[in-house]
Amino acid sequence: MFMKRGKYKSSILAFSIVSGLLLAGCNGDDEKPSASTDSNSNSDEPVTITFWDENASPERTPLWEEIIKQFEDANPNIDVEYVVIPNKSAKSKYDAAIAANDTPDVGSVQTTWLPEFSIREALMPLDEYFDGSELKDKINASAIEFNKKITQDGKLYGIPYAQNLDTIWIRTDWFEEAGVKEPETFDEFFTAIEKMTDKDNGRYGYTIRGGAGGSFQLQRLMFAYSGLDYFGEDGKVNINDPKHVEFVEKYLSYYEEFTPKSDITNGYKEMIAGFDTGVVAMVHHNVGSYGEHKKSLEEGTFKTIPLPKTEDGKYVAEGGNAVNIAVFNSTEHPDAAWKFAEFVNSAEAQSLWNESTGQIPTNTDVLDDEWVQNAQHIKVAFEVYENPETKLYEPPFYLPDYRSILDNLVDPGIQQVMSGQKSAKDFLDEWATAIEESKEKYDQTFNK
Amino acid sequence: MFSKNKKIDRLLTLYIPLGLMLSFTLFPIYWTINTALKPEGDILKRPLQYLPSNPTVENFVYAWSNIGFATFFKNSLIVGICTVIIVLICSTLSGYALSRYNFVGKKGFMLMLLCTQFIPRAMMIIPLFIIFKNLGLISHPLSLIITYTAVEIPFTTILMAGFISNVPKELEEAAMIDGCSKLQALRHVVFPLLMPGIVATGVFTFIYTWNEFLLALMLTNQQSRFTLPVGLSSMMGEFNVNYGALAAGSVIALIPAVILFAYAQKHLVNGIGGAVKG
Repeated sequence: MFMKRGKYKSSILAFSIVSGLLLAGCNGDDEKPSASTDSNSNSDEPVTITFWDENASPERTPLWEEIIKQFEDANPNIDVEYVVIPNKSAKSKYDAAIAANDTPDVGSVQTTWLPEFSIREALMPLDEYFDGSELKDKINASAIEFNKKITQDGKLYGIPYAQNLDTIWIRTDWFEEAGVKEPETFDEFFTAIEKMTDKDNGRYGYTIRGGAGGSFQLQRLMFAYSGLDYFGEDGKVNINDPKHVEFVEKYLSYYEEFTPKSDITNGYKEMIAGFDTGVVAMVHHNVGSYGEHKKSLEEGTFKTIPLPKTEDGKYVAEGGNAVNIAVFNSTEHPDAAWKFAEFVNSAEAQSLWNESTGQIPTNTDVLDDEWVQNAQHIKVAFEVYENPETKLYEPPFYLPDYRSILDNLVDPGIQQVMSGQKSAKDFLDEWATAIEESKEKYDQTFNK
Repeated sequence: MFSKNKKIDRLLTLYIPLGLMLSFTLFPIYWTINTALKPEGDILKRPLQYLPSNPTVENFVYAWSNIGFATFFKNSLIVGICTVIIVLICSTLSGYALSRYNFVGKKGFMLMLLCTQFIPRAMMIIPLFIIFKNLGLISHPLSLIITYTAVEIPFTTILMAGFISNVPKELEEAAMIDGCSKLQALRHVVFPLLMPGIVATGVFTFIYTWNEFLLALMLTNQQSRFTLPVGLSSMMGEFNVNYGALAAGSVIALIPAVILFAYAQKHLVNGIGGAVKG
């Protein structure tokens, strides 16, 4: 009996030793995940700051690594720890980090997140740093103004390092072949879709983004068509304006007739793949997808054109289509964090970043660079942004549930209209009501 | 005549359905491998290539060394193996208790185990994040091992209790009459008979940890600690997707699962059928 009990004990002992060893085996280097905890009183002391990249991909990661390397060479006492965050989950990752107060020091954040993050007091106001920096006169003033305008306290929480513009990518070779004019107005746009469709040859005129992110595409097209502001003078949202109803009815009626059947679940990847594999003649995306098209289509067979003009001949673009560098409130090294933010926005870094990603730099010094002059898509973007007639409308990014309305109500709504389960009018009415309710709540909270 | 009919029967009831099902399940895998073996320029090219015309392994090399799949792979293995071991130990012992003993509140306990399965994982993210942050375990494999173990144990315990109930109690009693202690009876008699169940539970747990994405992303803030699913998804940017490397990465991630299933297949079928004869 005694023996048995001894064996029993030894088995338990063996179990614990084995599991202990295994756990110890997992216990590699034990450094702290975010910012190092040493104080930042002396600027010569080596510090480590964390940087989160909100849109990681194998093409972008090496660019960030290059920029970080240059920064570390110039600032030997600052180490930047780079963390990639998959784009799809970036917002929820930031949300969890903010809730647990374990944010990085610096992060790349989309303009649409700035209002919410600033209400949650996650970000550090950068006004003082920016005003004291040589960047002040170099970064696109309207982009900076826009970032201030959308936060509830009017402070600057993010410095835009790359802008974007929605455009239409077209297959120039197909257009030439068919003798169809590149569309400049919406009428021409719809005609081109019809004429470029050749179902027998498996070709469609256009592809609609019916899946994730479709709301953004539709909203931008609607306002480009109507030229309206997001809110009317009486404070009512213009989403369900008769012009928008008219546009959505026509636009979504093209589904299946002139666009692929699979459009109803089209996300970014599927939509771009349709264009790059030669299924569709036109796709509405932005200048950022240049790199993708270049990979699969031959130079000279595609180009980008601005979204069609309104009836009175104006370009319309959505404001705030930018990515920003933001410094988080929890940082223990605000000076080092700002230094990095400043470096990312230097002409050198912006030039490297935007040339490779095909986006529009905000630092005016970059505009003279040779690559900018030679890049058709960047020039188109400038043409639109620099045109004094261009109308920038401002979506209410500041509404905390703006994004969730688009993702959870508008995206599925588009699919319902496409499949004929709902009328365009009902869909836009629902969308408008959701925005209005959200705005009311916001105005009450902030006593506007 | 009879044998001809039988052949047609077999064709209609066995080979054709089986062939259809196989092609249905294998096509995505074939396409992934096909994509992984193509150079980048060929992937989106028309006409589609059903076999790579210039096969290359560059995508695998790129995914493994440049993107860091070697690290992700290692991290996934560490987390997976540790979780499986802890889960197996805990669930075998608690499953034994549940199937062999009667105690007050046993039904309530079983019900609670089941209820834990109803909590959506996404709800746990922020509380877990705060707990692990306070423990200093964010970005540490232990945070994932602890979470996965906690998530898996209730289900595997119920599973194990079912397997153990299938082993006749009399076998144990016979062993004990022959002089075994309770633990020896468990080890020498119950354990070998339970092997299929253990393998099934282990494989089930391993596949869960191998594929889990949400918690792994949320609880890891360091690239060097990412597991495979997180690494894979970081290859799909908003504006560019490297299909070749993504496919190569998926193939790499598939390998352990395939090996595991190939090895455990026999046990698995036994285990799931619960066909342990007394």
